[in-house]
Amino acid sequence: MKFRFTVICLWSIGSQQAAAQAFDYSADRETSLRVCDQYFYRGEKLEADRCYSGLLVNSDDAVVRAEAAWRKGDLTAANAYFRTAVELAPESPRARTRWGRLFLTTHQNSEAIKLFQEALELDGEYIPAKMGLASVAAGRFEDRARALVGEVLEADSSQIEAQLLLARMSLEDGALARAEEALTEVLRVAEEHDLPPLEVYALSASVDLLQGITESAWTERALAYNPGFGEIYATPAHFYVITRRYREAIELLFKAVHIQPDLWSAHAELGVNLLRENRVEEAQEHLSLAYQGDPYSAQIVNTLRLIDSFDNFQVLNRDLSPSNRGSMSVKSPGIILRLHNDEASVLDPYVTELVSDSIQTFSENYQFELQEPVVAELYPEHDDFAVRISGLPGIGLLGVTFGYLVAMDSPSGRGSGEFHWGTTLWHEMAHVFTLEATDHLVPRWFSEGISVFEEWSTGPRPGRHVPMHVLEAMKDDKFLPVAELDSGFIRPTYQGQIMVSYMQAGLICQHIEQKWGRRSLVALLQLYKDGSDTVEAIEQGLGVSPEEFDRDFNEFLESEFQVTLDGLDEWKEQTEAAYEALNEGDWESVIGASTTAMELNPGYVEEGNVHIMNAKAHDELDQREAAIGTLEKYWQLGGFEPRVLHQLADWLYDAGRSEDAIAVLNDVIFVAPLDESLHTKLGDWLLKNELAAPALREYQALLAMDPYDKAAAHYRLATAYVQLEDEAKTREHLLYALETAPHYREAQQLLLEILR
Amino acid sequence: MGFATLLGAAMRLFSICLLLGGMGLVTDVRADMYYLIVEGLGGEPRYAERFAAQAESLAHAAQRSLRGGSRVSLLNGDAASRESIVSELQRLAEVVAPDDSLVVFLIGHGTHDGNQYKFNLPGPDIDGETLAELLDGVPAGQQVVVNATSASGAILELWLSEGRTLITATKTGGERNATRFGQYWAEALSSDEADANKNGAITAQEAFNFTARKVADSYEREGTLATEHPQLIGETAGTFNVAFLENRIATTRELERLFTELDTLESGVESLRQRREEMESDVYLDELQELLLALALVQREIDEARGVE
Repeated sequence: MKFRFTVICLWSIGSQQAAAQAFDYSADRETSLRVCDQYFYRGEKLEADRCYSGLLVNSDDAVVRAEAAWRKGDLTAANAYFRTAVELAPESPRARTRWGRLFLTTHQNSEAIKLFQEALELDGEYIPAKMGLASVAAGRFEDRARALVGEVLEADSSQIEAQLLLARMSLEDGALARAEEALTEVLRVAEEHDLPPLEVYALSASVDLLQGITESAWTERALAYNPGFGEIYATPAHFYVITRRYREAIELLFKAVHIQPDLWSAHAELGVNLLRENRVEEAQEHLSLAYQGDPYSAQIVNTLRLIDSFDNFQVLNRDLSPSNRGSMSVKSPGIILRLHNDEASVLDPYVTELVSDSIQTFSENYQFELQEPVVAELYPEHDDFAVRISGLPGIGLLGVTFGYLVAMDSPSGRGSGEFHWGTTLWHEMAHVFTLEATDHLVPRWFSEGISVFEEWSTGPRPGRHVPMHVLEAMKDDKFLPVAELDSGFIRPTYQGQIMVSYMQAGLICQHIEQKWGRRSLVALLQLYKDGSDTVEAIEQGLGVSPEEFDRDFNEFLESEFQVTLDGLDEWKEQTEAAYEALNEGDWESVIGASTTAMELNPGYVEEGNVHIMNAKAHDELDQREAAIGTLEKYWQLGGFEPRVLHQLADWLYDAGRSEDAIAVLNDVIFVAPLDESLHTKLGDWLLKNELAAPALREYQALLAMDPYDKAAAHYRLATAYVQLEDEAKTREHLLYALETAPHYREAQQLLLEILR
Repeated sequence: MGFATLLGAAMRLFSICLLLGGMGLVTDVRADMYYLIVEGLGGEPRYAERFAAQAESLAHAAQRSLRGGSRVSLLNGDAASRESIVSELQRLAEVVAPDDSLVVFLIGHGTHDGNQYKFNLPGPDIDGETLAELLDGVPAGQQVVVNATSASGAILELWLSEGRTLITATKTGGERNATRFGQYWAEALSSDEADANKNGAITAQEAFNFTARKVADSYEREGTLATEHPQLIGETAGTFNVAFLENRIATTRELERLFTELDTLESGVESLRQRREEMESDVYLDELQELLLALALVQREIDEARGVE
């Protein structure tokens, strides 16, 4: 659930850097290079190549040779010349800085940073080196970028690259006016100094695009200057991507590579975005082209490897399964699952059912009919999932939605019970609706808010779950005004703010639903679809100003949380006391302290809850009924630790409450479904309760797990088929059981019975 | 004094000698099987407790399996010294005949310094070379040696010998963390689930498959990298029964005939399975059904004759 959208930014690092070498506005760029650059910027490739070749032969300046080799695409030679240049002039910051830029082109950030820092050690005010660092920081969406750009502009306000970076960052923040201001200034300076205006045009076209103008005059101007300038499409495409409008981005990127087939960064972006649209073959084609031109990008290589690994996945087309949820008959184009071969048979029915339920629920809740099949991908290797969404391994996400495509960790992608995959999938499915119902124009906070709200109100895990650090943030008055809530996701200013923003957004949606009704959530989506921003949407959709809304929301928070917040310190004390008593085995004290803690913060079943120890203490004191009561409460409030739920189910079953026990185990499926003992036990209990159809599903899941005891799995399937009065299937599975284990007494007995 | 009492009291060497009862015909080789179980040094209490429980469980399984006779030797506590191990293996070298078989379980910690494997014991450790020499000295034609210690993979090549199935908890001497293998191996020898073909006997292969899977699952469940990768080398693992869940002793001529018939039918099933790929599915299942029905009826007769439920 955390950091869902940062991935988009991460992928953009590569593309920005790959393009970064195209323009060099440095004042100390050699005149001879500038002559050649003119051809290059105008797209006169032959002349440019001839010009740079001449410099490569005739210049005795190693930096000039390096630049010429670089422009001709020979990065190895450029690297060697830069090394020579640094050896010849170790005190000059220029060679180091440009060498660093070369490293940025090949995605070697740490090498680049080292060289920029060395240059700054030689000359603390050397602007190109500061801009190099700023460029890296901006690519990482770090606040430091703004400070560095500020320093440069303070020293020299006419610095084109700084102005451009400032404009770009402003656009990424949605500050269009600030961006326009910077671009006007930079265009003036560029024209005054006869510098290439192409990047100004590209960013100005992006401003137009973000203002809803898709046919920008800046595009014509750029193409008149250089008909092969692909960035005039690729740069605006970047802004489509970061606002999650992937289809529109794809259209622009196709145009970019059409007019500039060697714009490798655009091929890479195109490949990644095609993949987000499940257009795998086209994605592979463009990523392969990108790799040919830019073999240094880890993102490209990783993504191509991931596509190769799709051979290990099954693509399953499924219709909506019958659902008990909702009342309306939902039309759906269907579901496509991409599941790993090793677990597809096990997960297929559970994922299909949950996706079906979510489509049924959200179609009704948001009055929106899906137009395309939903693609759900579950990755057993977390790093594959990370590559799927960002091109790089090692990202701490659980799920991500690109419109009709949802990608997430499979339950096997993390330790057993580490995450509630059912909730993650439910959350992502809500994004499918909020994104598609608004043509992807929904702001981040509202999309996340609805997803979180739906987790709490309709998802497979009951209850509203607000982590402790979020309660503390609420207590410390760290919630943002609704009009600024997006910034809590994009540029968090303190540790944990993204999760705080998720929860605040969820609570806002809950508040709206309670005060204005669920239909107002639908109305807000419509307003966003029509192009409103949050201020307009709140005013028109709810009839209040954002300030009034914030006051109202604070009252809602007070009514919902004040008692809990007031008791937070005591809750902590009691919890601590309960843990101490637990360590000492003082069960009476455990019960005393944990009961008080539960009263103070009754819904808290997250990490550090006291329910489990309370139940244990009761059990130690032979108070099984009370222990069951506590764990039942834990379960009903959304506690999902699989070990604990198994224990509860066993106790309930032993107490003769088999239906409740079955209900508990059914919930374990949403946390730890890849557990043979779960399906065995659940199937056995269902069958005993004469629920043969669901029992059959559990036994099928068991067999799909390739259990060690296959004979027993086949035997169990046979027993379910007996109850379903399917003689042929009964016989078949008995024979398979006995084929593996000819001496299997129970199977022999049943075989004799059915063939009697 | 019951067996459990003996184990609880022990911390010393004991041997369990069971007289052959009834002297009926035996359809397997259990009468000539010897077990040696060594529980090494636990170090920390948690390991000491764990290893003791494993050793006890294995000794129970061994005793249950050898109801018809033979010996189970358990070396644990202070008695699991280098001297005792040497002495016990030398004793076995004298009493075991070439037709007999030997099963050895080593539980505890092992180390490997890059050159030499050592099994950690109270007092001086015993090294891999010495153990190899002692095992080679036991003339049993068939041996299963299970080294469940950390770093046990180091002895894979060193202990290889004709007629010996070698099982280790780790792949190499570099896997040095305390292992979980012993716990699941002990479980395997008393588990219906481990008995994949449900014939009441657990082969070394079945026990290994069960254990290796449980070990892998346990790491996967925790989401941690596995620090042990069990290995098995040996050609007889699939036929060498290391434990029995029930007896298969023919005490009468009639039972002997039925067991022979059962064996024939079982071979028929196996032979049919080999031809499965060449056959139409329906034909295969029909033929399989015929054999399995006959087998079930013979089994029923055996059970009735022996009073098994």
